[in-house]
Amino acid sequence: MKLPEHCRALWALREGDSGVVEGFGDNISEAYRIRLMEFGFHPGETVSCLLTPGVGAPHVYRVSNTVFSLDEDISAHVYLRLTDSTSGSPS
Amino acid sequence: MNRVLLIGSPNSGKSSLFNRLTGLHQRVANYPGITVDVSAGPLAAMPDVELVDFPGTYSLRPISSEEAVAVEYFQRSLADPQVRHVLCVVDATRLEKSLYFTLQVIRESQRHNKTVTVLANMTDIITRNDLRFDDQGLALQLGAPVCRVSAKTSAGLEAVIDRLRMSLICDDDATGKWADTPDALLRGTAHQLANRYGPKGDLLVRRQTRLDRFFLHTVTGGVAFFAIMLLLFQSIFTWSAPVMDAVETIITTVGMAVVPLIGNPILADFTADALFGGIGAFLVFVPQIFVLTLVIGILEDTGYLARAALICHRPLKLFGLTGKSFIPMLSGVACAIPAIYAARAVDSPRQRLMTYLAIPLMPCSARLPVYALLIATFIPSGTVFFGLLGWQGIAMFAIYFFGMFVALLVTGIVSRLTHKEAAGDLPFVLELPPYRTPSPGPILRNAVNRSRHFVTKAGKVIFMVTVVVWILGYFPNQGASLADSWLGIMGRFIEPLFQPLGLDWRYGVAILSSFLAREVFVGTLGTIFGIEDAADNMLPLVDQIQASGLPLGSGLALLVFFAIALQCVSTVAILSREAGSYKVALKMLGGYLVIAYAMAVLVFNVTELLVQLGSA
Repeated sequence: MKLPEHCRALWALREGDSGVVEGFGDNISEAYRIRLMEFGFHPGETVSCLLTPGVGAPHVYRVSNTVFSLDEDISAHVYLRLTDSTSGSPS
Repeated sequence: MNRVLLIGSPNSGKSSLFNRLTGLHQRVANYPGITVDVSAGPLAAMPDVELVDFPGTYSLRPISSEEAVAVEYFQRSLADPQVRHVLCVVDATRLEKSLYFTLQVIRESQRHNKTVTVLANMTDIITRNDLRFDDQGLALQLGAPVCRVSAKTSAGLEAVIDRLRMSLICDDDATGKWADTPDALLRGTAHQLANRYGPKGDLLVRRQTRLDRFFLHTVTGGVAFFAIMLLLFQSIFTWSAPVMDAVETIITTVGMAVVPLIGNPILADFTADALFGGIGAFLVFVPQIFVLTLVIGILEDTGYLARAALICHRPLKLFGLTGKSFIPMLSGVACAIPAIYAARAVDSPRQRLMTYLAIPLMPCSARLPVYALLIATFIPSGTVFFGLLGWQGIAMFAIYFFGMFVALLVTGIVSRLTHKEAAGDLPFVLELPPYRTPSPGPILRNAVNRSRHFVTKAGKVIFMVTVVVWILGYFPNQGASLADSWLGIMGRFIEPLFQPLGLDWRYGVAILSSFLAREVFVGTLGTIFGIEDAADNMLPLVDQIQASGLPLGSGLALLVFFAIALQCVSTVAILSREAGSYKVALKMLGGYLVIAYAMAVLVFNVTELLVQLGSA
């Protein structure tokens, strides 16, 4: 799946942004796609970006009541539709 | 014997429950992936029932070889007729993460006609924060009883035991509605059930985020990281010093009281040199290992180490490592053996291998006595910056930093040489556990166990080496002349190997003996120089080495050699086991020996050249 026009990659989310998972990029392995869904990153679920530490460190996301840290290698391949409350939302 | 399986997601408090139910002391911490082995023990309340604790896993569909081993063993155990029940632990505060896995466990158990009880752990947090958790509703939907428990307070554990007793008496039909449910449907159901029955509100996450804003901030997070690491290293050298002094005094006092009572002169010499000298050589470092393990345990339990892994991920990635390598590497500062076990948390095989490469270069506590001796011998004890910093302290910091620098250099080079395999590296995904107040009991127990392990495992090797070195140095002339002893003869035979480092046979023998365990170097040198309790009281040995005219270049060469060489039989053995190949361990042993030797020769020659230029 390529990044649809109305979507953003999870990595591109800024602190405080939220979005609903739309799908996953083709470059993500099947095993990891399933693992992300097991963590709660499944299509339709809301994900919030809690922190974006500097110097390229992994970002911190909240899904349900759990907090995960994901680096760019994986979060660049998780696509979200930004929610209305998010500033600059294209949706 | 009837068996009960205990399984759950990482960091769900599973091992704490195991300890509560068995009365055993399995290691626990607030970091995902602490349990790396399957362990078992009888239930305290039902000694005829064995509880089997599995490593935490997020799913029964494994993505790493370690998960695959745990899942395969779980599946095999379900087929075992002795297995009568499965306890599945969920973190009640973060239900969705655990529920999909729980449904998978229930499904597999139903396929094998095994009953499941869900243990909803951490309900003390639910109660304290007045959060809602409908365990009855959840149990109804799952088709399995849900027990509210708290591993921290032991609340609800009696009900679990009652439930187990009942389950073992009545042969319940455990087949149920989930047996044929596909994964995709389980995922959706888990999501719905968590939303419906799990705690609402983000009170806990908001608290966690407030702290994360500080600890993960580019500036404050960096400052906090360095401050915490500084605290860690201070604890090794400053806080343990009074206890080390006390141990030293006790050993010396006992030695002085016992040795004169022994009539036989050979036995008296043996007791003084081999027993008190040899044992004292390592006992004095036990307080340091205790303090270090204690501080690392506190950091782990608070949840900070997961944040440290995040902070370090980007810089470590440049050297072929991952943020998950940070904790094994940090543990390596205490001892390489637990560090190698901790590397199982690194899920990519290549990055795990890089972590293995880095660990033996971490400045472990066994190097400490060697560094302390050489620094005391060659570095003046003066201070700089108005007495705030001592030259010897700076030298100690420099040699510690040197080890870490070489570790990153080696992994960076090997990573670039194997860059084609990097495509198989798994991305960094780490669950950030909530911040918690550390539990002193388990942390203290772990520190005591770690210290005891050091004494019982390393102590045996060190004692044996000390006895062998003493016998070789004492006979055939009853200690009259070390140069004419068997040790002296052997030492002169290998002397040419160490001449390029400016070292004579005595240092050669001490280096050879240190390949069993690094800390043996000081004790051996003490035995060779005829100093009792050299490791307890280094000053006479320092004087002897200075008087022997050992050049500065040789001292620095020794420091560099010890910083790089992999002189630890136990580390090599554990590496062989964990890497699944003795070849990896032998290559590391040989590779680091060659690098250590070459670097030491280089340092010796450069230093001596500079000394000559300086004096000219």
